[in-house]
Amino acid sequence: MTTLGHHRYSRHVLERLVESAPAPEGPLGAPERDALGARLAAVPTLEKRRVDAWLIERRAIASSAFAWSPARARRALGRGALRRLAADARLTPLAAVTEEVLDHLARAATGFVGSGTLAAYLAAVDDATRALCAAEAVTWATQTGEAAATLSHSWAIPPADPYYDVAGARTTLRGQRDLVVAVGAARVVVRVRAGAPGPRAGAGLRVDLLVDALADTAGTPAARLVGLWPEAGVALSVDGTLEDLRAGARAVVRAAVVSRRRSLQSA
Amino acid sequence: MPSVALSPVLEALRGNPDERPAVDLCAAAGLRARLESAARAVARTTPPRRVSATSLRARALTSAPVGATLRGLLVASALRLLAVGARPQPPGALLAAWRASEGDTPLALASDQLDADERARLESDVAAHVATLRARVGSVPAAWAPRTAVRAHQRLAGGDVVLSDVVDLMVGTTLGPSAAVSLLDVTTAPLGEDDERVARYHALVQTLRTATVPLRSAVLSTATGELWCLEVDAATLEHAVDDLIAVLEVPTLGRAA
Repeated sequence: MTTLGHHRYSRHVLERLVESAPAPEGPLGAPERDALGARLAAVPTLEKRRVDAWLIERRAIASSAFAWSPARARRALGRGALRRLAADARLTPLAAVTEEVLDHLARAATGFVGSGTLAAYLAAVDDATRALCAAEAVTWATQTGEAAATLSHSWAIPPADPYYDVAGARTTLRGQRDLVVAVGAARVVVRVRAGAPGPRAGAGLRVDLLVDALADTAGTPAARLVGLWPEAGVALSVDGTLEDLRAGARAVVRAAVVSRRRSLQSA
Repeated sequence: MPSVALSPVLEALRGNPDERPAVDLCAAAGLRARLESAARAVARTTPPRRVSATSLRARALTSAPVGATLRGLLVASALRLLAVGARPQPPGALLAAWRASEGDTPLALASDQLDADERARLESDVAAHVATLRARVGSVPAAWAPRTAVRAHQRLAGGDVVLSDVVDLMVGTTLGPSAAVSLLDVTTAPLGEDDERVARYHALVQTLRTATVPLRSAVLSTATGELWCLEVDAATLEHAVDDLIAVLEVPTLGRAA
């Protein structure tokens, strides 16, 4: 039985979820990693495969080609801004986002950024689009910052999302995490999402939990993974139990199988 | 610290900080319970019945012309730029920015079909509304933590009814001991009785979303420059629930409420 919990958003919901997080179960060792690798390798693919929570939630229907937009830029800019806010409490969210945008523009000006990067996108768009990106990021950073400000434990914005490469299966597992809250020796991971949770949101959270554990050098799972949907006023949580990790792994393998079947049908 | 002169709209949203009531963190549960029982009484529909601020307008069932819808969206975009202190942009740039961020939605594709005359009319119309907006709102202090286009989705009765909402501008923190969040909706039409319902709806959905009752909910018309500002209290929210129940009791004609 998995531990998916559904909670209405309130001022202290995040603090309660962090406080009540159980101790995580034992770390994922080589046998578990090998078993997952073998199952994924058994699903052949000609191309490099990427599996993330979004794919699981969309029932393994691959998204169309990625293109930056103000809505897609908000998380990247907002996370950078929130990191600046955490480092300097005198900054306003707007000032932090402005610094973040300028930082990207300076990076783009060096000429050493890829054409598909956010820096290249921000440098290429007009002033109005760049301002819309900033507006989206300010809203994201303010909402996330207010949620984080209710925590009594120390928290940090991780420098990057976790990923785990299963080289023998030509598969990369991608996770997302926006806040990592330290609870003693354990950690609670928070993911902030747009919109409202769909029927497979729990499966998506378990995949994020799994990837976060696999990406950890010791294989230690987070004590709890919290998905926060501020627009819906909802928080979902899954605990770092072996059962939830297994359910996440099953969802990953199933998504790989369904993707494979779809590609064979369309060929 | 030098004080910055606030525009009348921002003055109205802020009010007197010393007179703010204590923040109400308990009202949401009772409001939700009333709405849940009303929503359960509504016949099950597939797809779910969607209610938005537009549903509270008397002319909800008539679809607005593309030009009027675009005008509203572009004025909302101008407000977003204003909130982040961006330089004023001509309507053509606002349209291009909105179009670039919108993808291939039906409205975005319809905007591509505007001929030169329609586009010129839209741009001059938007320029006039944005001029009123800038004059009335002025620059929003960054310390007020302005959030723009704040979306909300609330499911009732197990998802049979979905309340959706977009607040054009939200200022103030949800974390203080007193109510400090103010909501502003910008409309390009003259204000009418419907807008009072819309202001209450924004306050209700915001309360359900965050479990924190906002301080004020206001509607600004860029057609007339008029501002209506409601103090949000228990009576306002109960009234908003009554409005919503009245909408839910009307049988739907088609998919949207």
